[in-house]
Amino acid sequence: MADTSPKVCTVNFGKGAQDISVYKSLGGYSNVGKRLFDLSQFELIDLVTRSGLRGRGGAGFPTGMKWSFVPRGGKPVYLVVNADEGEPGTFKDHFLMLEDPHRLIEGMLICGWALGVRTAYIYVRGEFLSAVESLNKAISQAYAAGLLGANIGGSGYSLDIYVHRGAGAYICGEETALINSLEGCKGQPRLKPPFPAVSGAWSSPTCVNNVETIMALPWILENGPEAYAAIGVGRSNGTKVFSVSGDVKRPGVYECALGLPIMEMLESEQFCQGVIGDLKGVIPGGSSTPVLTTAEASDAKLDYESLAAKGTMLGSGAIIAFNSSRNVVTMLQSLTRFYAHESCGQCTPCREGTGFANRVMKTVVAGKGRDTDLQLLLDLCEGFTPTTICPLAAADAGPIESFTKKFRADFEAAIARNPERAEERLHPNFRPGAFW
Amino acid sequence: MTHANLPQQPTFAEIAPRLETPAMKARVADLIRRYPSPQAALLQVLWLAQHELQWLPQAAIEWSAHQCKTSPVHAYGVATFYTMYQKAPVGKFLLQICQNVTCHALGSENLIAHAEKTLGIPADGAHVSADGLFTLLRVECLGACGNGPVMQVNDDFATDVVDGVVTMPKSISLTTERFDKIVAWCRANKEKGLVRDPLGGTLAGDLGHPGAEGASAQKQNSDYAPPPPALAVKAIAGTGVALTWKAAPEITELRIEHSSTESGPWAPLATCSPKDKEFAHATGIAGDCYRIVAVSGARVAKPSQIAKAGV
Amino acid sequence: MSNYYHMPKLPSADSLRVTINVDGKDVVVPGDTNLIEALRSVGIETPHFCYHPHLPLSGNCRQCLIETEGPRGMGLAIACYTPVRAGMKVATPASSPKVAKARKTVMEFQLVNHPLDCPICDKAGECLLQENYMQAGQGESHVREDIGKQYHGAPEHRFEDTKGQDRGGKDIDIGPRIILDEERCILCDRCVRFMRHVAGDEQLYIAARGDHAFITTFPGKKLDHAYDLNTTDICPVGALTSKSFRFKHRVWNLQHTPSIDPTDALGANIWIDHDGGTVYRLMPRCNSDVNRSWIANSTRAAFEALSTNRLLDGRLQGKTVTRSEALRHMMEKLQSAKKVALVSSGHLTLEDNAAMLSLAGVLGPRAEVFGGSWLPVAKPDGIALSGDPVPNRRGVSLLGIADNLDQLVSRAAEFDVVLLAETDLWFADSKQAKALEAIPNRLVLSAWDTASVKAATCAVGINAWAEVRGCMVNIAGRLQMMQAAPVSPVDALEPAWQTLSHLAGSDWNEVIEAWKFATGICSPLASIKYSAIGSSGLQLPPSGAHT
Repeated sequence: MADTSPKVCTVNFGKGAQDISVYKSLGGYSNVGKRLFDLSQFELIDLVTRSGLRGRGGAGFPTGMKWSFVPRGGKPVYLVVNADEGEPGTFKDHFLMLEDPHRLIEGMLICGWALGVRTAYIYVRGEFLSAVESLNKAISQAYAAGLLGANIGGSGYSLDIYVHRGAGAYICGEETALINSLEGCKGQPRLKPPFPAVSGAWSSPTCVNNVETIMALPWILENGPEAYAAIGVGRSNGTKVFSVSGDVKRPGVYECALGLPIMEMLESEQFCQGVIGDLKGVIPGGSSTPVLTTAEASDAKLDYESLAAKGTMLGSGAIIAFNSSRNVVTMLQSLTRFYAHESCGQCTPCREGTGFANRVMKTVVAGKGRDTDLQLLLDLCEGFTPTTICPLAAADAGPIESFTKKFRADFEAAIARNPERAEERLHPNFRPGAFW
Repeated sequence: MTHANLPQQPTFAEIAPRLETPAMKARVADLIRRYPSPQAALLQVLWLAQHELQWLPQAAIEWSAHQCKTSPVHAYGVATFYTMYQKAPVGKFLLQICQNVTCHALGSENLIAHAEKTLGIPADGAHVSADGLFTLLRVECLGACGNGPVMQVNDDFATDVVDGVVTMPKSISLTTERFDKIVAWCRANKEKGLVRDPLGGTLAGDLGHPGAEGASAQKQNSDYAPPPPALAVKAIAGTGVALTWKAAPEITELRIEHSSTESGPWAPLATCSPKDKEFAHATGIAGDCYRIVAVSGARVAKPSQIAKAGV
Repeated sequence: MSNYYHMPKLPSADSLRVTINVDGKDVVVPGDTNLIEALRSVGIETPHFCYHPHLPLSGNCRQCLIETEGPRGMGLAIACYTPVRAGMKVATPASSPKVAKARKTVMEFQLVNHPLDCPICDKAGECLLQENYMQAGQGESHVREDIGKQYHGAPEHRFEDTKGQDRGGKDIDIGPRIILDEERCILCDRCVRFMRHVAGDEQLYIAARGDHAFITTFPGKKLDHAYDLNTTDICPVGALTSKSFRFKHRVWNLQHTPSIDPTDALGANIWIDHDGGTVYRLMPRCNSDVNRSWIANSTRAAFEALSTNRLLDGRLQGKTVTRSEALRHMMEKLQSAKKVALVSSGHLTLEDNAAMLSLAGVLGPRAEVFGGSWLPVAKPDGIALSGDPVPNRRGVSLLGIADNLDQLVSRAAEFDVVLLAETDLWFADSKQAKALEAIPNRLVLSAWDTASVKAATCAVGINAWAEVRGCMVNIAGRLQMMQAAPVSPVDALEPAWQTLSHLAGSDWNEVIEAWKFATGICSPLASIKYSAIGSSGLQLPPSGAHT
């Protein structure tokens, strides 16, 4: 069955658009010229605002509004494209950069013009060297074609784009951590305010946008904001690129209009073609978003508002489906281990708390859990969620709270394997001795 | 008992011939010109050093710090913060198997156990197989969950060997058989290895960051195509004419001009601040025309589109 | 660590006052500061680790949580990074169980991987972790043996203890003056910020990440800087301790006497920490206008001299005599002298120098007062040293004493008696001092058995700086007071002003008499009472500046 859903970012997939001549023959860069440079910066921001485009990296912040915070006329303005795609389950940006790097460059030209950017960076996570190669090749082609560098298309506008390779740190997906990493520091989030739009990289106004967000811009400029806003539902305008993985027949990257029922994504012929086995649960937006049970997923829709109503988030659009043969206890431990591993070590509650939660999960997985451990995990989540600079600790709490609540029987069964548990029951006042 | 497997650290004199080459110098200079401060190139310079030496000895970290004009201990903190910098020597093929949630659910633990057995080394990143070819490492999400479980060999995603090339075809995940195939490929290609440029190649034609050492870029020309305001001006006649608009962030001053016809002549009417959202022209009547000229600092924009007062 | 920093704004006497609502009560606080300082100004202490008024903000310990009104209602925020806004609502644990609970949780996390070894920890008694635990913690720990701890430490220092627990490094020789205990570090990065932003020499860093993070120098390099011991003061736990003080004395037995750096004209404010007549260490005393919270290692080492090479009795022609014998000899020589050179000292207080002027007055035209120093003057380091080793140079000149030692040398033949008080000319410039040996009677008052004492015909011991009360004027014209710590090695010693007043026959018993004499002869000091000087000193008007 043909794929009938609207395509904004993935329209050139499989067409060899990595080459600039192919990209141009598909209509690329046609608006980088009079059409773009005749628009004032204000008009362009207004255009993006009217399209209803929201940040596709996870938080869903309106892009036009983010741009409007950037002060002009003082310090240089930087555009940093966030391609530090690290959220477990997410892999869309990798393919977007591999398949259609010129669309990203064109989007950066549009954003760069809107904000008066002279130098822009693409921060690519260290594991995506293939994407770095693809981008560098495309950027070189764009320089040769006069689409980057000085005086682009005779407009007087100049832009340089550089790819900055990260080196393995999930937290660099957080925009202020990413800026620190760009500055050659440890990727630790900064205290806010000031927000990067006002004072970011090298204390200058900095616009940090996700790859997918930027890649939607050429389409919006070409087809008009109204056309983009017409796609989707409610306040969730446009399309979204989803990364689907786990127990589905055809995992991969799929673009569809926001508001698609989750089950259609999993079962439709044009997308994943069905679940393997009995669906047990779905993580809808990347590892940090609370899991949905099969019942909850059955009527869930893929847009910001309806997933929020289900107590979870659209996040980065990473759908992980798993069937009843999977062990949710060890799955959760793989996540607690991840967050403990990726905590930047700055704030006390996250640094010590995520590690602590992981050690508790380890004892549960090892069959040494206690009845009180599930409560202990919840206490830890309550402790580290509201007290830190960035939301990494809260991202750990999402799966811990939802997994232990929604699959409680699995966790209780895991704890019941503890041979010492009998003794614990026999002595209601039993308290483990002080550790030291 | 101290921690096992602490690597022997070479002296700088031992590694200098690999790092202090003209090619490296040119590459580092090219990186430094991309940023307003040399320190920003640190991550990239560490990549280059690691590529030359296959790992990052302390002397190389110190060398990188000097290249980027930052303190050695800062570079050490950075090098230890990021997990992809190898602080101990690794084999020619670094096999990184993802153990995060999707890959875990789809059986990466079995694969890791298989890999450990096949290669005879634990998957801790600290051991090199006896033939010097392999190091096995558990890693967190590699960002290819659609192919889960997945593996990276050095910098390449690897779930299969197709036509003599290690690759990751769509929807093909790593299995024990494919793992063995990849290992066999590595053994067969041990001379060639699997090497890519650590920064994905170089650029041509770029100008660098304005003001950076070696850069030829100029600061953004402030008089490029002055932004025509095209403000949403609506003129409604009642008792006089009321004008409303939205102010752009970069605008510092708005000059309202008036004419009785659409073709002019235009007479200045008032000057508003960017904070103003409206203006009332008390003597205006229906049919009067208005336009606004936006000013941003020293730049004067083209006049806005003309708004005609309606009834 | 980020390149990006804010220094905390500290309130001053002329801060604009604003009203904020704390726990339902309106209070007036300085409006230009953060909530930690504002709450402190109304007597509410907020527990914290990483915040330090003289270091850039980091906001990583999360201990100083309060609730404040934001766009989404009352929410948790860190007090150190929340600026005071007029009319804002703030809730502390006194009114908000949420804040109390949050602080308790943060404290629990703080302790999860911290060793509970207070009995053998040298910081115990002045440890912020202990203090804050009593204020914000006291919860039951969730830690248990099978969950284990993740102690902080570098891979090369880790070891397994007898219980099979993986441990971080202990007793690491991190520098010539400092020992590091990696496990105790709570990663507040105060020391990192100190070295980077105050010392200006980045030698420390937090390496690795998450709960594997640890504090370190570059491998193989030592923490070595002229101010590095300040890191041991600001370390909130027992991770960085000074080799010279470590295990010497329990801190709760120490008494603290406020004083002034005797080695430098900036007059850094210090505490003399002593017990049972022995000084154990000198610590910086916070003064935002002078040395902030820092003192140099060289200042810190000044206490070692207090128990070394002291002159406790008298010397007469090189032979040891009692103090009274020496004093009697000095008295006779002064009475019979034809022409006396009195050499004042910038190492002594205003009171001591006033006493010398009083002696000059008694001797009348037979006496002439000289001043100055031959010690070399270095450049200021911008932290807590002015480079001028003469602490009270400015005070001496305020009293009207000229910088004219060279004249004394050239006119040595005119004098038959020279009296030096605590100024070691033979050490500062033995060549020039040689000329003074032409003067037949060389009388010396000194706390130490110095080169000048050896060159003297008669010398007598006096109290050293730590043992006297008195004032000095620093290089910026700030009048500062040092208090006497009861650490005189023998009871018979007297301060210089007292000995000089004996020689003048005026027998002052209280230092206040010397002060009154000083204020009487020196117009910039006129009518200043001790009580007006205060613990952080008194800036003298610029008209008193010496030319």
